[in-house]
Amino acid sequence: MTAAKIIMNEIKGYHRFLKFMMFLVALGALASAVRFVFGLGGTTNLNDTYPWGLWISFDVVTAVPLAAGAFTLGAIVHCFHIKKLEPLVRPAIVTGFLGYSLVGIGLLLDLGQPQRGWHTLVYWNVHSPMFEVSMCVMAYTTVLFLEFLSPVCERLGYHLPLRVLRWLEMPLVIAAAAISTLHQSSLGTFFLIAVDKLHALWYNPLLPLQFWLSAIFTGLSIIIIEATMVHRYMDQPNESELLEILTKILPWVLGVYLVVKGLSLAFLTHGPIFDRPGLLALFALEIGAGVIAPVVIFMKRKNREDDRMQLRGACLVIFGLVLNRFNVSMFGMIQPDQKIYFPSVIESLVTIGIIAAHVLFFVLIAKYFPIFEHHPETVDYTIPDGFRRTDGHEGHGKVSEA
Amino acid sequence: MSSVTTDCSKSKSFLIDTTKCTGCRGCQVACKQWNQLKGEKTEFFSGEGYQNPPSMSEYTFTRVKFKDYQKHGQNEFAFYKEMCMHCNDPACASVCPVGAFKKTAEGPVVYNADRCIGCRFCMVACPFGIPKYQWSKAFPLVKKCTGCYSRVKSGLEPACATACPTAITYGTRGELLKEAEKRIANRPDRYYKTIYGKEEAGGTSVLYLTHQPLDELGFKPVTSRSLPSYTWQALRFVPGIFLTVGGGLSLVSWFNHRKERVKREEEQRKASAETHNGTE
Ligand code: SF4
Ligand code: SF4
Ligand code: SF4
Repeated sequence: MTAAKIIMNEIKGYHRFLKFMMFLVALGALASAVRFVFGLGGTTNLNDTYPWGLWISFDVVTAVPLAAGAFTLGAIVHCFHIKKLEPLVRPAIVTGFLGYSLVGIGLLLDLGQPQRGWHTLVYWNVHSPMFEVSMCVMAYTTVLFLEFLSPVCERLGYHLPLRVLRWLEMPLVIAAAAISTLHQSSLGTFFLIAVDKLHALWYNPLLPLQFWLSAIFTGLSIIIIEATMVHRYMDQPNESELLEILTKILPWVLGVYLVVKGLSLAFLTHGPIFDRPGLLALFALEIGAGVIAPVVIFMKRKNREDDRMQLRGACLVIFGLVLNRFNVSMFGMIQPDQKIYFPSVIESLVTIGIIAAHVLFFVLIAKYFPIFEHHPETVDYTIPDGFRRTDGHEGHGKVSEA
Repeated sequence: MSSVTTDCSKSKSFLIDTTKCTGCRGCQVACKQWNQLKGEKTEFFSGEGYQNPPSMSEYTFTRVKFKDYQKHGQNEFAFYKEMCMHCNDPACASVCPVGAFKKTAEGPVVYNADRCIGCRFCMVACPFGIPKYQWSKAFPLVKKCTGCYSRVKSGLEPACATACPTAITYGTRGELLKEAEKRIANRPDRYYKTIYGKEEAGGTSVLYLTHQPLDELGFKPVTSRSLPSYTWQALRFVPGIFLTVGGGLSLVSWFNHRKERVKREEEQRKASAETHNGTE
């Protein structure tokens, strides 16, 4: 059989769901091709009133905090030494790596001159939050890639790189947390320039701090959702006991966020808060459903231990986060007399394709690389065997032939 | 481009006295000609007033807005020329990740099309909604009034200022501010007391004198602080935060690892002591 045939046969064996995801990804790829042929103006509903639309609001501003699980968990497990959570780290790193790679793709599609993306590396403007975010995103994607190399090397049985990676683990975790702090918060700094545009419900000088705090609780919630899904649909063990630790941390972060938000709303806003009923409702929904409700849920011990309630609480947090990012980057920027923007079919297809790509690649990576069987204590890195491949060595390269 | 607004009193500015504007739109035509911009298909009554085109665009860098109002029971017109304000500390320049915008010493804020990556942050940031995008193109760039930088550099006045028969004065910002204040003082009944552009966005190189209150004419109320200072007050912490988080986490993990190691050694000692006791 030729390689192509082997691959085709392999794909034929996939579940219906995966095939559907592949279809969505293909559709998204097609839509992005259409964008380049016919231009941004013709294929999107963007215009001079709405220079930024769905692609910035979701693919960048929302997707970055959604991929925050890796750095949050990395810091908790390695710096604060809650080693019990170790089994959750690798899936989180894979999600983070995929998430950031797709943020990069989304951003390139949105740029008018994507072929000049490298200009950010050459023409520095340290006064631009976007310069800062793009540098951080590039650096962090590299860090995630290095962290992601561990399971790849284990799968292939490469020893020396593995030992280097193990040695790099702590520096990488710390770099990840520091870089993430910077760009998660700087995404909030983006909107500090929109002084007279963003509504006072969201505009205040502490926006960067709020973005950072919300990235942390979003990261934790995404891990809960991911672990629950993987348990339900990918035959992995139930980790709800570990997730309970996360649900204990969550209300604290949410609480601090709520306090910061309340204080900044009370003391740091300029301009009227109650003048736009529609925006007020969105704000109330974001805080009520996305912050207060999960705090109430996770305060009860019974809920923290119940995996169904864990999932529900985490989903509420994610809902609130997505709404918050759209409020800040889109709804809150609409001036009273403006026409309402709605994403075009092409824009929607691309974003759906990006989400589908995330799910698809996660499942495929989980299928072929050992991301759930991470037991570092069983792996022996002491044998100096150069760069050669060592097949059949005990204790590593264990693959789930799922 | 920094948080400190540089002294712009020596740089060139526009003083646009809307009370003297006749609405001839000579500036609009001159701008199109000088910049070789395509004409736009327009229709009457397409915007909020009688102005055409309905808004500025990639083809229109300046346009005269029409506003009708009542004075002593009579219908009157007010006109005002809309263009890039050439801010002293421009928001567009501060947010651009590749520094494509620059405030020149001469006054105009100029755009370097070869650098631009097309992210449109400048459009989001500009408080006056000036930068426009080439939506018709597959690989679009940004378009806006150039302040006729090439003309100014070679000692000429901008095309629109040259064409204007009555309302536009071109000169250094310091002199123009003095002139504007003099006009207000001499004819208090003719002028509204505020010079638009003196304080707006930290000061701009386009100054307006009007008869009516500014908001009635459709001037956007804009903060008097320079916009880049709003982002800079957060961004300036970046190196500090990086070091604090990095250093803090390193310390925390060193501490926790040490605690673990001490505990492990303790246990080992105990265990070996026990086996030792056992063999005796
Ligand atoms: S008016 Fe807008 S485009 Fe012109 S210099 Fe100021 S910020 Fe830049
Ligand atoms: S669109 Fe171009 S000029 Fe505007 S901020 Fe982006 S890179 Fe700079
Ligand atoms: S300064 Fe030049 S580019 Fe700007 S509006 Fe006047 S003529 Fe047009």
